[in-house]
Amino acid sequence: MKEWFYDSVCDIEQGPVDPLRKFQREPEMIVHGLRSLSALIIRSLLRIYNQFEIIGHQNLRTNRSLVIVANHCSHIDTLCLLAALPLRKLHRAFPAAASDYFFQSVLRLWAVAILVNALPFARRAPVRKSLSLCRELLAIPGTILIIFPEGTRSTTGEVGEFKSGIGALVAGRDIVVTPCFIDGSFRAWPKGKRFPRPRKVRLVVGTPRNYCDRGTDKIDICAIAAELRDAVNQLRPANASH
Amino acid sequence: MSPQIALHDPVFHAYFWIVLISIAIAGAVLSFMRFVFTKETAAMFKTYWSWILIAGIGFIVLFLGRIPTIVGATFLAICGFKEFARASGLYRDSWMTGAVYVGIVMVGIASVISDPRGEEQGTGWYGFFVAVPAFAIALILLIPILRNRARGELQRISLAIIGFVYIGWMFGHLGFMANARNAYGFICYIIFATGLTDVAAFTFGKIFGCHPLRSEISPNKTWEGALGAFCVAMILPWLLRFSFPFFGVRQLILTGLIVGIGGQLGDLSISVIKRDIGTKDMAATIPGHGGILDRIDSLVYAAPLFMHMAGYYYPLR
Repeated sequence: MKEWFYDSVCDIEQGPVDPLRKFQREPEMIVHGLRSLSALIIRSLLRIYNQFEIIGHQNLRTNRSLVIVANHCSHIDTLCLLAALPLRKLHRAFPAAASDYFFQSVLRLWAVAILVNALPFARRAPVRKSLSLCRELLAIPGTILIIFPEGTRSTTGEVGEFKSGIGALVAGRDIVVTPCFIDGSFRAWPKGKRFPRPRKVRLVVGTPRNYCDRGTDKIDICAIAAELRDAVNQLRPANASH
Repeated sequence: MSPQIALHDPVFHAYFWIVLISIAIAGAVLSFMRFVFTKETAAMFKTYWSWILIAGIGFIVLFLGRIPTIVGATFLAICGFKEFARASGLYRDSWMTGAVYVGIVMVGIASVISDPRGEEQGTGWYGFFVAVPAFAIALILLIPILRNRARGELQRISLAIIGFVYIGWMFGHLGFMANARNAYGFICYIIFATGLTDVAAFTFGKIFGCHPLRSEISPNKTWEGALGAFCVAMILPWLLRFSFPFFGVRQLILTGLIVGIGGQLGDLSISVIKRDIGTKDMAATIPGHGGILDRIDSLVYAAPLFMHMAGYYYPLR
């Protein structure tokens, strides 16, 4: 009789917290269940509490990998973008989250790893490593990457400058980029406030684009970042909240 | 079992003080070793803090009553099985894992509900509880058929069945004991006795150990440790006779044998599984102990034997 081959899960020698810090995470039935359940709850809460509304839903309908680029004013932004995705794509959607902010305290780690399946993004250290992780993920069809290229939450509600990293990620590659504008999240939950407030939040999804014909030098990368910022800004609804 | 009864139950009180005093003594001994002999005890202290945490949670759950105890045991069984599944690779098969989860929850439900044809309420459905493995194995065998797959399925079926029957159902007996009239005595005794036997085996092994018990399975266990633990387990039923005042000499001896031999066999059985898989601990859930399964290993083996032994001589209700 031949010996059996046991295909152990690779993180069995670690405690319950460390595997969450690691990326990519092993698929985990209980975590997936919790995530789907919380997504349903968050979706209904957004609809009721923030009268959440999506414009241009059809622009997200694709089976290819895509990068969603949006303005960032509040933690609600991530939840809104995830709420726009079908539930079955939830476990392949990775919002990039600052590793220095979200991946330190155990409570935040729990929230981002279980509820939103965040990708740890090093914004202080050279971003090259994080970018190559993003590319690796995008190579798998059906991956959705949610990136806020401003790098932090805006304190005024205006769209800040986009970091050039987003340009480096998509320049010269056949990657679908979907710009989105989230309106009202600044008033709903500004940076520094403890709890969200019941203000209307709208998500406008723009038409997908790609930058496969562009060069990868510094000028092009910065130009792409600026173009994407304009694309996001142009989605701002006429009757926007500010 | 309920908070009101627990407040006035002498057995529950007695165990509360026994555990508190044991923890205090162990803490004093460890501190003595650390500060007087300046031995390296950091690892032992880690284990010790975890013991305090386990004891605290255990008492709170037992205090809360019958249903929390059963839910707690079911939860532990699920965690234990999850560790087993992750280590053995069964976890990658979410259907099989899910089927075993369903089976374990069935064990919990059978312990909570009452026999529909029985007279008494809130006593668990013994007949169904004993029959759960048949239904769970039927469910596990159904899965490859539904998926129309045969390659490598025997390994998955076997792992799922051993995982369910050994970790889910046999450990589930601990929860079912919450239905016994003498629930506090049985549950507290079996947990305390297996825990103390484990500590005794470790301590005797550390002090006197030189002859390996089963070198191929668990290199750290010694005959001296096993014999010391066996002696402790044989004396303990007499010392803690108040837990089951109706037990005669024969039952006390059997209790000692089940805890002294069964507990250590349980430890070794999990070691066999770990050794074959090639891992040291099943997981790292409890600091200083390894996984939950590494902690409950002797209980898994001893609890069902103890319950059926006690149930044979004295009906549980």
